[in-house]
Amino acid sequence: MRVSVLQENLAKGLSIVGRAVATRSTLPVLSNILLETDNAQLKLAAMNMEIGINCWIGAMIDEEGQITVPARLLSDFVNSLPKERIDMELQIRTQTLHLRCAHYEANIHGIDASEFPIIPTHRRETGLPTIEVPPEKLRRMIEQVAFAAATDESRPTLTGVFTQFDGDRLTLVATDGYRLAVRSTVLEEAVPVALGVIIPARALAELSRIIGSLELGEEEGVEVTVTEARNQVMFHLPGVDLVSQLVEANFPDYKKIVPTSYNTRAVVDTEEFLRAMRVSYLFARDSANIVRVNIEPGDPGRILLTASSKEMGDNEAEIEATVEGEPLEASFNGKFMIDVLSVIDTPQVVFEAISPTRPGVFRPVGAGDEEYTHVIMPMSPK
Amino acid sequence: MTRKILHLDLDAFFCAVEELRNPDLRGKPFAVGGSPQGRGVVASCSYAARQYGIHSAMPMAQAIRLCPDLIVVSNRHGLYDDVSRRVMARLRQFTPLLEQLSIDEAFLDLSDLPEPPAELARRIQAAIRNEFSLPCSLGVATNKLVAKIANDVGKSRARGAEPPNAITVVPPGQEAAFLAPLPTRALWGVGPKTADRLAALGIHTIGDIAAYPEAELVRLFGKHGHDLARRARGIDDRPVVTEHETKSVSKEVTFPRDVADRRTLQRTLRRLSEGVGRNLRRKGLQGSTVKIKLRWPDFTTITRQTTLSSPTDQDNEIYEAANRLFSAAWKPGRPVRLLGVGVSGFGRGYRQLSFWDIEADRDRRLQETLDRLRSKYGVGAVTRGGRESGG
Repeated sequence: MRVSVLQENLAKGLSIVGRAVATRSTLPVLSNILLETDNAQLKLAAMNMEIGINCWIGAMIDEEGQITVPARLLSDFVNSLPKERIDMELQIRTQTLHLRCAHYEANIHGIDASEFPIIPTHRRETGLPTIEVPPEKLRRMIEQVAFAAATDESRPTLTGVFTQFDGDRLTLVATDGYRLAVRSTVLEEAVPVALGVIIPARALAELSRIIGSLELGEEEGVEVTVTEARNQVMFHLPGVDLVSQLVEANFPDYKKIVPTSYNTRAVVDTEEFLRAMRVSYLFARDSANIVRVNIEPGDPGRILLTASSKEMGDNEAEIEATVEGEPLEASFNGKFMIDVLSVIDTPQVVFEAISPTRPGVFRPVGAGDEEYTHVIMPMSPK
Repeated sequence: MTRKILHLDLDAFFCAVEELRNPDLRGKPFAVGGSPQGRGVVASCSYAARQYGIHSAMPMAQAIRLCPDLIVVSNRHGLYDDVSRRVMARLRQFTPLLEQLSIDEAFLDLSDLPEPPAELARRIQAAIRNEFSLPCSLGVATNKLVAKIANDVGKSRARGAEPPNAITVVPPGQEAAFLAPLPTRALWGVGPKTADRLAALGIHTIGDIAAYPEAELVRLFGKHGHDLARRARGIDDRPVVTEHETKSVSKEVTFPRDVADRRTLQRTLRRLSEGVGRNLRRKGLQGSTVKIKLRWPDFTTITRQTTLSSPTDQDNEIYEAANRLFSAAWKPGRPVRLLGVGVSGFGRGYRQLSFWDIEADRDRRLQETLDRLRSKYGVGAVTRGGRESGG
């Protein structure tokens, strides 16, 4: 293999695939990144037990070939180089990659590319149904939902995001058992067949990061394909493929969780609510994140947030609100509240509650088709 | 106001309890602890055994070499816990201001009682002897520091084959004079390193510290120097703290022989998790951080911890988190010397409700039933079915 690339392109490609590199694998080759010439481009690939990423960058190819080299060393080395041309040459006999850029030269020992697992790439000709989603919209949806998934592996189903295509509607749902995020949107075209899969939240977070780093044009879409065996999902973007394992389980019936009525309803300024919550959280984080929320009707109504820590002190914040219904006094995990208020992008948010031990609901005001519902269970004294 | 602080220590507590169960042991050299074949150490030894130079924390095998006739009695922790609880409850009748330091040690603040300190000490000692047939030693002074040291000094003066039953009173104003002749090591906060540094300065007794310029101590030892100067003069304002906030609950076990078998390790992990869960529930605590401790045969020790999404006191949740940590930290076949499980990060009596609490409630009820059965019929009476698979 003899290839020349620009340092910037290689650095960017490595940062895209880098997050898929296995950190603690028993298979040494998975700590490596695959470099492979592919149709006049250089393909970079990395994978772990959950996701695999292929990324293609512009290259001048003098001789075809492939090799895997340690991801960490290669990335750190390339990131340290000046923005110039990098010439790479593989010593097949020793499986050593020679790199040269400006005044720098290095030899990096690799592992034979044949040991690297094959990461499926997106091929239109497979005939599998493909759904196209506007990338920026998908990225926003992921940001509003993925954080609500469970991080603790004891409930594998809940570490995923339930992704449902039904007619012209795309819905993402995640819950860790204490909060639930449901976000849906209307697609330009209806999908031929309804589809519901659970995608690991970590994989979607990666996808969202990649979309953010690609600076895509308006007309470019993310193509989503589920493999025939229904155990993997592929996301195809210009120059990047991300493949993820699917969580094979039944997602809980989330619709039952969303309350259909309320006793207290408050409409508030999103920014102000978020700021007050962040301040309260400073005092709450040392005492199990408990923030007390008092909602008082009146003219004007108000929301009172209080938090206290035995060691640090206490805090009170008041925000004006349009309140309808009964007064409410409930305690919530301040972190959960900050998480949801940070991703609501309308100027106003509505908060509905039934009682101190029943779920509270957040919704953006005036989001139209971009429906978002976020449900949080309160904390209750034992 | 001059305080009356009493430090109480049950003499050779485990042995004293064993003597109650088996009076034949009385006056004989015997030790409570692990078996000499394994890695047992002496947890407590009778005063007759101490005549041979045996002391607690000594490997049992070594103790037997010192005294070949030594009778070894295995630990009965549940029994000692139970007796300790009853003794502490009795002591609280003298004053609610009781700070329990360990299973057999406590501070009592008796400032509100009119009798002179020595009389109070005798009355308490008599109550424990008459009602529990247990010997104890007491130190009384105007603060915790001096009371504790007084008791240590009083007990060490008794060197016979009988429990010391010592009472040592340091009258108000005599604190510094009492401490002065004692070696620096007797002072709380002086470990071997500090003692060596002090000795290098020609400071050998607590009196030497008190006579040394405080500014110089602060220069040499930082903030600690200030504490040293105060303590050496017998000054200590710490109150008797009746309730210590529990920061963590943990259990650990040292294997008699290193264990490399996954099933055995996981079974142990489950048993430890259940012990921790039981303690948490008894104390009404729920923690969100689960920690494991692993010690390899070469004594290097590692700890790994993880944060759960909500606090727990449930055996299963603790075990599952501990097992995940264990599986990530342990390479199959690697021998383990010690295994521990702990939970910390306690909320203040609040519980994060879940969407599926009805379901969680069912598990909680099962757990409560198991706890009731175990407290009635013993820890081994019921266990959950094998769940060690996976990982």
